[in-house]
Amino acid sequence: MIVEHLELVDFRNYRKERFELTDGTTVVLGNNGHGKTNLAEALAYLATLSSFRGVSNEAMIRHEAETAVIRATVLHPDGRRSNVDAELSRGAPGRVQVNRQRLRRARDLLGTIRVTVFSPDDLGIVKGSPGERRRYVDDALVALSAKYDAVRLDVDRAVRQRNRLLKQMAGRMDGDDAVTLDVWDARLADAGERFGEARAALIGRLAPIVQEAYGDLAGPTSVGLSYEPPWRTQGLAAALAVARTADVRLRASTVGPHRDDIELSIGSLPARSQASQGEQRTLALALRLGTHRLVSEQEDSAPVLVLDDVLSELDASRAAALLRHLPVGQIIITTAGAIPDAVEPHRIIRITDGAQV
Amino acid sequence: MSASYTPVVQALIEEFGRLPGIGPKSAQRIVFYLLKLPVDDAKRLAKAIVDAKERVQFCDRCFNIADGPLCPVCRDDRRDPTVVCVVEEPRDIVSVERTGEFHGRYHVLMGALNPLDGIGPEHLKVRELVTRIGSDDIEEVILCTNPNTEGEVTALYLARLLKPLGVRVTRLASGLPVGGDLEYADELTLGRALEGRRVVET
Ligand SMILES: Nc1ncnc2c1ncn2[C@@H]1O[C@H](COP(=O)(O)OP(=O)(O)O)[C@@H](O)[C@H]1O
Ligand SMILES: [Mg+2]
Ligand SMILES: [Zn+2]
Repeated sequence: MIVEHLELVDFRNYRKERFELTDGTTVVLGNNGHGKTNLAEALAYLATLSSFRGVSNEAMIRHEAETAVIRATVLHPDGRRSNVDAELSRGAPGRVQVNRQRLRRARDLLGTIRVTVFSPDDLGIVKGSPGERRRYVDDALVALSAKYDAVRLDVDRAVRQRNRLLKQMAGRMDGDDAVTLDVWDARLADAGERFGEARAALIGRLAPIVQEAYGDLAGPTSVGLSYEPPWRTQGLAAALAVARTADVRLRASTVGPHRDDIELSIGSLPARSQASQGEQRTLALALRLGTHRLVSEQEDSAPVLVLDDVLSELDASRAAALLRHLPVGQIIITTAGAIPDAVEPHRIIRITDGAQV
Repeated sequence: MSASYTPVVQALIEEFGRLPGIGPKSAQRIVFYLLKLPVDDAKRLAKAIVDAKERVQFCDRCFNIADGPLCPVCRDDRRDPTVVCVVEEPRDIVSVERTGEFHGRYHVLMGALNPLDGIGPEHLKVRELVTRIGSDDIEEVILCTNPNTEGEVTALYLARLLKPLGVRVTRLASGLPVGGDLEYADELTLGRALEGRRVVET
């Protein structure tokens, strides 16, 4: 898949800027703080309808503006072109048009455009909290199959509603509370069970691919991913029943997909606590490369790939290894420094203060 | 809001800002539009709001919008009194009516279970539904709450509550866009979901 044009209106520090992109490699040059990551964020928004930096849609609208627009012409692998027009507004849900047809719901866009972003923040997948690993896996799940977006939202919603109910109960449970809590449990169990199943299946597919990607970048090493939350053996409905007394007392949902972790290991040691910074960085790359390959394989076409400021963090040999092992397709590389030796750009875009120069 | 409008204008902006889906900026825009309107147009709008508020009421039986004690559906004796379609909001009745597939009566809950909005069963027209089932000749209750998290939970809650009363409790067939509102479903899809309704497992 190729994004041929990208136009940003009032997005972050861009007022109105149209980028001509190309198949092959585009390098985006610009000093820090001038809009490189913002450009990556806009592209990624078209794939996920959220910021890969984990902020609200509102944060992406230019200060002083009321709405931001991201427009793109996308060339699909089957030769179709579509014009996508995504609008972000303050205090209102986003809106999306495809070929001038307004989608009933913005989320119906998911699955149309695929983008993989490599970011220095990916190190957080390895070093950070379980939430960052869940986000990595769940994003991959939705990228591979858009139907999981609804399941993910359902789980999230059920957890938040159940937590609020537990807070309202203030540590006690009468008969009416129990009946209401029962139905929220049933919903959480149902959606959570399906989501846990999907996560486990994905981890199973991903593990050998990440292992191979790690090998490509750093030579053969055994790398492991495992997802084995205890509730999956007894079933979430049963686990929620067991946890109920504690949940009522603690006024929060202590069991479920929202509390899971994905264990990462290098050479059978936990990557988070026992690996060197270099190994952790390589594993973060291998995880991204792994999902990128999985999606490329499944779709028979590579997602748009954005390397946002990551090459500068790698030594020359590892940077070259990464570039050598990227599937062919559209690649956008941003950097504040010089163009790395191993890169042969088809196009160079220079940005200063949210404008091309 | 930092702008220093006159108190009258500020008050109006705040009123609009409280409406669903309208943020402070849109509220401002609406108010400035209204201020430019000819005074007759403004009076017509104000009167329409007051008239609606004074004349429109909720149906005593089903809580649909009505212009008397009973709504048009409840007044229509060709409608089948043995089947009741339970919806969240009066506007959902419009969606179901558009399918032309439903000939029974309605019951509007006036919301769905939603702890985040402070809504529990006691805030919905649940007790009224139970009373109706006890006194009218209702044989089937179709749960037409939205196909989203809150709607599904509300449907399950009602199913568990109503089944022991000896009525058939059914739910729309799947196939509606998940996570959305009934509003989003086109007539055909909603019609099919009604036709393919199934007894709820509790
Ligand atoms: N909502 C916004 N409105 C206007 N400017 C913004 C907004 N969000 C971020 N910026 C600006 O964008 C710049 C950072 O851009 P970014 O793409 O992160 O830089 P880099 O080129 O280093 O990746 C900063 O100057 C910041 O002030
Ligand atoms: Mg940056
Ligand atoms: Zn009525």
